[in-house]
Amino acid sequence: MIEYRSSCRSVNRCLCISPCRLWWAFVLMLVPMVAAAHTISGDNARFVEGLEGPAVIPYMYLGAKHMVTGYDHLLYLVGVVFFLRRLKDVALYVSLFTLGHSVTLLGGVLLEWNVNAYLIDTIIGLSVVYKAFENMNGFQQVFGLQFNARIAVLIFGFFHGLGLATKLQDLSLAADSLVINMLSFNVGVEIGQVIALTCIVLVLGQWRKTHHFRGQALMANTVLMSLGFMLAGYQFSAYLWA
Amino acid sequence: MMTIKVPESDILQAERRKVLAATLFAVVSAVVILVLFILPAEFNKDPLGMGEVLGLSGLSSSSGVRVETIHKEEGALREDSVSFQLLPFEFVEYKYQLNKGGSMVYSWNSTKAKAGSSLVSFEFHGESEETEDYVESYSLGEGEHEAGTFIAPFSGIHGWYWANHGSEIVTVTLNTAGFYTQSLEFRDGFVNKKPLEQVGAIK
Repeated sequence: MIEYRSSCRSVNRCLCISPCRLWWAFVLMLVPMVAAAHTISGDNARFVEGLEGPAVIPYMYLGAKHMVTGYDHLLYLVGVVFFLRRLKDVALYVSLFTLGHSVTLLGGVLLEWNVNAYLIDTIIGLSVVYKAFENMNGFQQVFGLQFNARIAVLIFGFFHGLGLATKLQDLSLAADSLVINMLSFNVGVEIGQVIALTCIVLVLGQWRKTHHFRGQALMANTVLMSLGFMLAGYQFSAYLWA
Repeated sequence: MMTIKVPESDILQAERRKVLAATLFAVVSAVVILVLFILPAEFNKDPLGMGEVLGLSGLSSSSGVRVETIHKEEGALREDSVSFQLLPFEFVEYKYQLNKGGSMVYSWNSTKAKAGSSLVSFEFHGESEETEDYVESYSLGEGEHEAGTFIAPFSGIHGWYWANHGSEIVTVTLNTAGFYTQSLEFRDGFVNKKPLEQVGAIK
């Protein structure tokens, strides 16, 4: 009888752990994707530069790839949706982010703003730091201030869009089909964002259900902040020395 | 203290002390990883000398930044200067025979008949003589000028394809000097091989 009971308990434990394990396997699966290089790489660039006229699908693909493999944008999105439980709020914040980065992506390319890609990427790194600090309620706790999180996500959206614009400008777009190719890239970015967010929101949703979530949230945002500082340091070093 | 309550941001209610500790930890860990690993590996900057100890310093020094200063050649130096007139939608290919490691400096530009420069489509590429049908593209795009130094990655013929996609006659002029032996012109389905003169040879 005792034998039976203990085995029953262990079965229960197995059932409880396996979904968690599944999610971790899923998260680990994403790692190689995230670890891929962040600029638009040589062969891809050479191919699209050799194309003449509009190339909707290649530019859409590059936009989606840039988003899905762009760990700076992904880390920021993780920070943004970290505490958003309702899908409605996720949609609101992500729409503000999308509005922000689309404005500067399209504006930056059309008006040929020559911003330094490394400095913009440094600010993008700091946007991750900002969001993590905000998630810790740091502005209120440390400085007694509270900024509007929606306005912040819009403003950082502008900077992320400038980063996207610099990547697209590197491709020396032909003037005749600039607008259509740029819009294709932008649509691709949004598709990539939906793909990435689906994964992020699902994983966070599962994590939030576990009772460790409360205890691990501070640590997770500390890690996020540290990665943000590393990204900023890396990009600023590249600005100085690359 | 007045605080604006944003309903959806159900954020962490951590104490001030914990937030400060977490921030400090984030800064310190980021700086440590940057200084110990990222800076030596990516930028060959090694303030503490740990990159050398860990063997990371070599990662960035070979990334094309440290170019060989001299590159000695066995063969004779030759030079060449050619011009091609291209009617609208005409194209030409002009290549040099270069052995693996053989180098040349090159410069080409395209001009309109009247005045001013004109865009042409070009591809700088090489065809291997060791591996059949192996073609490698070095530079591709639209332009009116390109110049540089080329070191052949394999033995074979290396050179340019130029096409005039405009509506006016364009003249492409190429100047090179290098350790090649002959040039090959591909035009209208014919191949024209031309032995090239050595620089400073007695005529």
